[in-house]
Amino acid sequence: MQWIPEYKADVPRVERFNFLARFSHWGHTVTFLLCLFTGLALFLSDAGWLAAIFGGYAGAGLVHRIAAVGLTIILAIGMVAGFKGIIAWFQDILRFGVNDIMFIVKFPLEFFGFPVKVPPQTRFNGGEKGNSMVTPTMVILLVLSGYIMWFPAIFPGGLVRVAYWTHDIAMVLGTVMVSMHAYLGSFHPGSGESFWGMWKGTVRADWAKHHHAIWYEETYGDKKDAE
Amino acid sequence: MLKMTNLYDVSKCTACRGCQVACKDWNQLPAVIEPFTGNYQTHETTNGDTYTIVKFIEQIDDVKGIQWNFLKFQCMHCFDPECMKVCPTDCIKQTEWGAVIKDYDKCIGCHYCTYACPFEIPQYRKRQDITTKCTLCYERVEEGLTPACARTCPTGALQFGEREELLIQARERVKFLKANGFPNATIYGEKELGGLNKLYVLTDTPDKFDLPVDPKVSGNIGFWQNWVQPYFGWLIPVTLGASALSFVTSRLLANKAPAHTEGGHE
Repeated sequence: MQWIPEYKADVPRVERFNFLARFSHWGHTVTFLLCLFTGLALFLSDAGWLAAIFGGYAGAGLVHRIAAVGLTIILAIGMVAGFKGIIAWFQDILRFGVNDIMFIVKFPLEFFGFPVKVPPQTRFNGGEKGNSMVTPTMVILLVLSGYIMWFPAIFPGGLVRVAYWTHDIAMVLGTVMVSMHAYLGSFHPGSGESFWGMWKGTVRADWAKHHHAIWYEETYGDKKDAE
Repeated sequence: MLKMTNLYDVSKCTACRGCQVACKDWNQLPAVIEPFTGNYQTHETTNGDTYTIVKFIEQIDDVKGIQWNFLKFQCMHCFDPECMKVCPTDCIKQTEWGAVIKDYDKCIGCHYCTYACPFEIPQYRKRQDITTKCTLCYERVEEGLTPACARTCPTGALQFGEREELLIQARERVKFLKANGFPNATIYGEKELGGLNKLYVLTDTPDKFDLPVDPKVSGNIGFWQNWVQPYFGWLIPVTLGASALSFVTSRLLANKAPAHTEGGHE
């Protein structure tokens, strides 16, 4: 059984994500998951065994804080150094249109493996646009509410109480999106090549043309004939 | 089991702060010196090494002029303690006779109890990374002694005993005070928050003593504990389950039409 499609270096490939985007993506992956598993030790009741992996609740708390600071730093680097990329990302999200709605409507069938025809997509398809809106929002909410909970003495008590449920809701929605995203970006047969886009930075040109036709035409369309 | 509690009668309190010192002594707590803020009150509120304080509250009354109200302030040992519900490590317990106590070995200093408490009483002790509060001297009481604060009170403002008996006494005292120049005298702690295991006889309304007239657990804490924590997290296993199902079905369906997924897609 095939887990993810094989990486083919000998076919025409186009760049999908630059180094900064990939650094930021995988940096967030590591720090988010560390925060998630240490945080779940508190969120779940009777999860002492989870804390024990990190040396008990105190150890889990320390790892949680170190990872949270790491996540904040990566977020800041990505926002400052990758400002142009973030603007381009945001502009693509704003292109949410009929093709994206069609994609989201048909996607549940595609998700479970039924063959469907979807209209051409921009750089990010309807589902990816949704993920691009929800996940970063949740991460920003997690960061803000997290620092409020870490230093409650310098904030009003009412804000600390709001931060408690905000942190939990943002964690759950963020984790739901991240687990969907992780599966769709790797083991889902319909989107396997996208894994290499984030791992190596390039995707097969024919895959890009098929999955993100509008983006491919706009970005690499003139090069198509030269190949 | 019968509830055992303190009755604190402000009309008898001289604010000598013997209870504060006795509490420090029994619990072996170091002195915490805060800067002078123009008030005789020693500390702004309870802190990690100060479980109880006597508040000095100045009230300006149109008829009586300046009133100086005293109030011994500490954990109220609620019958239905919210701190106990929010604690993620279950370090807060309630004894049968009504003391709400913390196991400091389990406390991780997360502050949840501080902000869940309608009085914001548990306070942070930095050197141990824990939050602390009054224990109602449960280790003394369980050996048949009275709490350190009640034992030391020279005027009898603080008493310790069975809650029902102390309530009878408190009602008598309120009746007396009402007839003798304190028409607003009241009992505090009998019904507030479903009952507190600390009783107060106040000479005026609770707001004149820096106490919330109708204390409530914040709606934010209720939403967090009763809705978000028990139910919301189920979205995660649902998502993981759907992904696992998709992993199987998408491969089964692909085997039926192998051309569809050649090299990733179509």
